[in-house]
Amino acid sequence: MLQQLANGVFAGSIYALFAIGFTLVFGILRQLNLAHPAIFTGGAFVGIELATRLGLPLWALVPAVAAVGALAGVLLERVAFRPLAGRDDEHFAGLISSVAFGGILIAALQARYGTEPRSFPSGYFPNRLFEFGGISVTLMQLVTLGLALVLMLGLAWLVSSTPMGRAMRAVAENPRAAKVLGVNAGLVTSGTYALSSALGTVAGALLALNLGQADRDLGASIELIGFAVIIVGGLGSLWGAMAAGLILGIAEAMTVSYFDSTWKGLVPFALLFVILVLRPRGLFGAVKVREV
Amino acid sequence: MLSPVLTVEAVHVSYGRIDAVRDVSFEVPEGGLVTLIGANGAGKSSVLGAVSGLVRPKKGVIRLDGKDISRWPIHRRVGAGLILVPEGRQILGSLTVAENLRLGAQRRRRHAVAESDMYRLFPVLAERRALPASALSGGEQQMLAIARAMIARPRVILLDEPSMGLSPKMVDEVFTVIEKIRAQGVTVVLVEQNARRALRVADTGHVLETGALAHSGPAVELLKHPKVVEAYLGIE
Repeated sequence: MLQQLANGVFAGSIYALFAIGFTLVFGILRQLNLAHPAIFTGGAFVGIELATRLGLPLWALVPAVAAVGALAGVLLERVAFRPLAGRDDEHFAGLISSVAFGGILIAALQARYGTEPRSFPSGYFPNRLFEFGGISVTLMQLVTLGLALVLMLGLAWLVSSTPMGRAMRAVAENPRAAKVLGVNAGLVTSGTYALSSALGTVAGALLALNLGQADRDLGASIELIGFAVIIVGGLGSLWGAMAAGLILGIAEAMTVSYFDSTWKGLVPFALLFVILVLRPRGLFGAVKVREV
Repeated sequence: MLSPVLTVEAVHVSYGRIDAVRDVSFEVPEGGLVTLIGANGAGKSSVLGAVSGLVRPKKGVIRLDGKDISRWPIHRRVGAGLILVPEGRQILGSLTVAENLRLGAQRRRRHAVAESDMYRLFPVLAERRALPASALSGGEQQMLAIARAMIARPRVILLDEPSMGLSPKMVDEVFTVIEKIRAQGVTVVLVEQNARRALRVADTGHVLETGALAHSGPAVELLKHPKVVEAYLGIE
């Protein structure tokens, strides 16, 4: 039971990290970026590639993956969203073009890596196990949880307390008013996508590190639960994504322990359904990014 | 006469097939206060939109200190000190009063004045600095909108209908503030429906009718111009 709780927390921290990047873009720019799962998968492969070819240790791997992710995010916005700005069907068109961008990215990954799983070099990260009162956790799980917390709190701090965050919240509330005050809306948009995709790629690399491997379906495996996290937390809410990530991670782990793994999705999606009926705007639906 | 800090040359603005501004030209001297008056829909706000960069003119040139800035994005114009206080105030209600001010200073950090100086100029904002700006009354929001521009130490401030929707007492306060801005040597372009008040504080006035300049001249003369009196000033 406690073991399942711990497993749920570790899985949940990755769900939260995935969800927070997605919800950031929606909260600030009102855009649904459906390429996010593909970016997540890409992060896993970038991590494996950098660890294998350059032998980067973990402390250097995470920032390197984040940097590649940030660049990918800027590119994604330029290609899939910016050309559509100002169209009547801007939002729907962006949704579709982001699906296309994600599809192209996955196809490119498959062309390069095939469909078989790719692994981190053996012994890449010390496989140490800790026991606390009957719960065993790996060092990688602890690192994952720690990193996820630091990144999420760091993002919340950036949005609430820095000039960049202030400009982001201004754009979220009223893009026109923000522009009049001299906010460079293009820069804020690029910055938002860079942050979002950096978080997404790091989340992907962390999941692959925990599994020891990745394949092109890594993003698809987290996509549904990731989107459930976003809705349960309240679309656009950073704190909601963090809380709901943990809640759904734990719910999923509990389902597996009481039923079996074929029922894995039962409780999270039942919870999603209940939330949609009882609180259509999510647990933190009233707290938008701009009010972090 | 001092060289103009802002020049509007043959500016033409259209929305689809509707011409909102036709061939409007005027100059604003350094430290001057120029007002654009006219009826609703005469094109006053469109002229300010073109000057500030919110609206892209179809034809014409905007110059700041002689430099053609017509193709500059808004944030670059703000960086050069050309700052709009938009119609309807456009306060960021979810940000605090202090955050609104800091955002105003962000693009011109090297020129910006201290936040405390703004609180001295606008004491009402000092008491409410930690509150979300949405908690302010209409008049207070207008003060914040002006303070948010003034904190950047603008070279030219563009005021779009600053007295709109305010109580007579608040209108008085807004005009007092405009005179203070002026006294600090900031160049002002004022768009107003309250033509009499605007002409009383201005040096020069331009009357817009259906998108084109109908009358221009020193404000004191426009105040006595029979056609202007008849159309915009009425009997006092």
